[in-house]
Amino acid sequence: MDFFLQLLVNGIVVGSIYALVALGFVVIYKSSSILNFAQGEFLMLGAYVCLAIMTTTPVPLWAAFLLTLAFSVTLGLLLERVVLRPMIGEPVISVIMLTLGLSSLLRAVVQGIWGTDTRPFPPVFPSEPVHLGPFPVSQGYLWSVGCVALLLLAFALFFKYARAGIAMRATAFSQQVALSMGISVRHMFALSWSIAAVVSAVGGVLLGAVRGGVDGSLAVFGLKVVPVVILGGLDSVLGAIVGGVAIGVLENLSGGYLDPFFGGGVKEVAPFVALVLILMVKPYGLFGKVRIERV
Amino acid sequence: MKRTLYLAAALLAPALALGQEIKVGGIFDLTGITADVGKPYAQGVRDGVSWVNDHGGINGKKIRLVDSDYGYKIPEANATYKRLTGTEKVIMINGWGTGDTEALKEVVAKDKVPYFSASFSAHLTNPQKTPYNFFVGPSYSDVLRSYLSWVKQDWKDGSRNPRIAFFYGDNAYGKSPIEAGRRFCKEIGVDLVAEEVLPGIVQDATSQLLDIKQKGADYGFTQVTVTNFSIVLRDARKLGLNVKWGTNTWGLGENLIAVGKDAAEGVVGAMLNPPFGENVPGMAKLTEFHQKNHPADKHDTNYVRGWSYVMVWSEGLKRADKSGKLTGEGIKAALETLKDFDLGGLAAPVTYTAQDHRPTSTVELYQVQGGKLVRLKQVEQPRKQEWLGL
Amino acid sequence: MRCGDFRTSYAADTTIFESSYSRNAVLLCLVTLAALPAFASGYALDVVNRCAIAAIAAVGLNVLTGFTGQISLGNAAFLAVGAYTTAALAGKLGLPFLMTIPLSGLAAAAAGMVFGIPSLRLKGLYLAMATLAAHFIVEFTATHWDAVTGGVNGISVPAASLGSFEFDSDARLFYLFLPVTAFLTLFATNLFRTRVGKAFIAIRDQDISAEVMGVRVFRYKLLAFGVSSFYVGVAGSLLAYQARIISPENFPISLAIDQLGMVIIGGLGSVQGSIFGAVFMTLLPELLRALTSEMADSYPHLTTLFAPLKMGLFGLVIVIFLVFEPDGLAARWRLIKAYWKLYPFSY
Repeated sequence: MDFFLQLLVNGIVVGSIYALVALGFVVIYKSSSILNFAQGEFLMLGAYVCLAIMTTTPVPLWAAFLLTLAFSVTLGLLLERVVLRPMIGEPVISVIMLTLGLSSLLRAVVQGIWGTDTRPFPPVFPSEPVHLGPFPVSQGYLWSVGCVALLLLAFALFFKYARAGIAMRATAFSQQVALSMGISVRHMFALSWSIAAVVSAVGGVLLGAVRGGVDGSLAVFGLKVVPVVILGGLDSVLGAIVGGVAIGVLENLSGGYLDPFFGGGVKEVAPFVALVLILMVKPYGLFGKVRIERV
Repeated sequence: MKRTLYLAAALLAPALALGQEIKVGGIFDLTGITADVGKPYAQGVRDGVSWVNDHGGINGKKIRLVDSDYGYKIPEANATYKRLTGTEKVIMINGWGTGDTEALKEVVAKDKVPYFSASFSAHLTNPQKTPYNFFVGPSYSDVLRSYLSWVKQDWKDGSRNPRIAFFYGDNAYGKSPIEAGRRFCKEIGVDLVAEEVLPGIVQDATSQLLDIKQKGADYGFTQVTVTNFSIVLRDARKLGLNVKWGTNTWGLGENLIAVGKDAAEGVVGAMLNPPFGENVPGMAKLTEFHQKNHPADKHDTNYVRGWSYVMVWSEGLKRADKSGKLTGEGIKAALETLKDFDLGGLAAPVTYTAQDHRPTSTVELYQVQGGKLVRLKQVEQPRKQEWLGL
Repeated sequence: MRCGDFRTSYAADTTIFESSYSRNAVLLCLVTLAALPAFASGYALDVVNRCAIAAIAAVGLNVLTGFTGQISLGNAAFLAVGAYTTAALAGKLGLPFLMTIPLSGLAAAAAGMVFGIPSLRLKGLYLAMATLAAHFIVEFTATHWDAVTGGVNGISVPAASLGSFEFDSDARLFYLFLPVTAFLTLFATNLFRTRVGKAFIAIRDQDISAEVMGVRVFRYKLLAFGVSSFYVGVAGSLLAYQARIISPENFPISLAIDQLGMVIIGGLGSVQGSIFGAVFMTLLPELLRALTSEMADSYPHLTTLFAPLKMGLFGLVIVIFLVFEPDGLAARWRLIKAYWKLYPFSY
């Protein structure tokens, strides 16, 4: 029983990181119907930039963190303007390929500048775990749980009350109607890309701090999170969070119980098996909006 | 007139040098998942070659190292091998990983290209099967056996056998010594309670660690690389596991202490080469070269390893050249005449014979104590015939 | 050369070669290629062989993605199915390549159709996700089904042989690959002159209208998955004969992305374009390598930079093509031809 509960708790905290990355996916998809495969690279870039600022300048952690976020906003705006705007109205395959191309490009830039070795991240959280009842949990993961809760609240309020948030929802519903109501669709796209870049950078810095080192493998989160968003529904903020936690738990339980039978690796593949099953049963995920096609 | 002479000399010099060149291929990992240890190794090989060239070369001939990066991918290594032997016409190759070396072993034997790898897989030591594969140091299997013998000694509780868990990567390198380890555990009375497989890129090892906790392991041996090992150590510390950790060559090094920080304390592992700057006779030329060429760079044990490889195969080239047989077959035969070839402490003395390519069976165990690598003891494994190739 | 379109019948509209000139040009091209081993080095032939494999796979992917409009990220997985089938059939059962190549194609086609079933309900992005899952599931199977696939250590494949003649060198393999590629390309071109091919295109353009017109959408979608994966499976089989050792590392997800890139750069919905794209994307890294190794003597750091440069160049090329030439090389080729048709009197 202890074994089960410990796996469960670990799954939830690890899942919170997935949820954080999935939020970025959802924000972009919600406003522009683009699935951004370069999300993992945003995360990696965020971690590297924060590390670079911390190691080359004498600024304290919080300042480095804020600078990283500023960098992410700029990155989001730039990418939207230069590469994504020409893609409006292009077929899905082109848009998918574009984000895949972008991910190669960003990874190449990171590898070219910082190489591929693991770079030690300055200790941010004490390495002593916190005990939740009998279960030890890394402090970094607790922070990520906190961030996720905070962001969930912020996004819920933003999409419900903020002018920009409502405008983004309108854009997602119908770009033409939004335009005729005087909403600048371009600004909404730019905003969503910046938000996504910022959310990913937060995830990147947290992960860097939790792992104690930063390297290119952080980018795999971009693909790992795909089952999360499919499970939760591509356009649901709540879905991203529920999906993140669910996939985190699934990974840990399948790893804990099935790995001994398959000789390892079940953890990596289980989310994708779940993905196929979800797509067959509920193609639009748990909380996604079902699209009805009319001729 | 004088100018014409100079010009002619300038034009002729490279042509002459070209005739005197010996081309050696290099297949390194500079950008893949093992690049953290692959880069210093490649640098060591390059610097070793420059040093040999500056000190007389191969009986006056210069070595030209044609190196390339294969990103730790078997298909890429395959293509690179074709290019090196086909277009570049190299005479031998200094390679890297286990997966690619084992994939290439048949072709290498067919093409008669001596192939040095930094894979210490025991599968490469039986000349009946892999006549052209060589490495410099004890095999992974001998390292694991030595660690297990140390565990047996370290275990003070007489009421039961020590329990051990193996952690290994889901790749050829990870699985290489496992069979040998399983058998040796039975032989000496260590209980192997769990085998945990880690993916190529580890994010979180909690579920594997909980499993060994459940099974009550006292020791854990990892056959992974520094980055993944440090994640295992970190998670083990988080869970408060009371396990003593061991590792092979690729898990232990200066970098483990930097990345793993205090979680690395107490780790026991094999070092095939001393840390850079250790006080051994062979180190003098390295420090001298380092001072002369790049005094600002930092080096580690993997850099030393690169040097030790060059020292061994350049000796092979020299002997082959002396007997006038600078061919794949000639180099192989020359290497097989090496007997207790002394590397001045850069690695254990090397012996190859036509029946046995195990270079040595001496393993140096080190321990991380107070953030430093401290030499623990030397373990000598017998050269048993039935262990050849296992 | 003719300088305009003079089509007077439906037959003329669907002909493969517009004129005897273009047919002769293609034939001449093939003959020249066939003479290649006489003067090309082993490594150059290795590159050409890789081009052939990539071209077959890209044509297959284009049948599915470019012609039928179904996005697939599972190409590397189907390639793996083909390659492992060949390894098992040739290595364990000793079947000759005349049987293993088509059987590998069929095995991949079966796998493709199984993973195509979600296309019953899914479109666009969601289908891409399902095929992505297919990739990881096949990869897991290849890594863990040791008895058949040899696990992570890989499995070796005997050389393709005909009687006592072994296709064991790059030049010999080239004579195996060239006819297979030529035949499959011709077959794909012909496919789109038939009912089946037209049904694929109808589904891509508007699936509901296609259904109204009497095309059984699901059946044809599955068929498209089958045909496409058959091509990819054959490519996998040839890959097995070329590499001679197959491991899960031969089929990373980046390979599937590379192949999508070939199809995009070559031109969606163009058989000719797939070949252009495959050749272009295979030669690009080789050129880059030649360039970096040429300069590596003076700038030793370039060896380390090669991998990021290659990756960055791939991303950059994709982005540039999508933004500036969304119809790919095939469209550019048509423009060039049109320009020369009227040269020097273009208007």
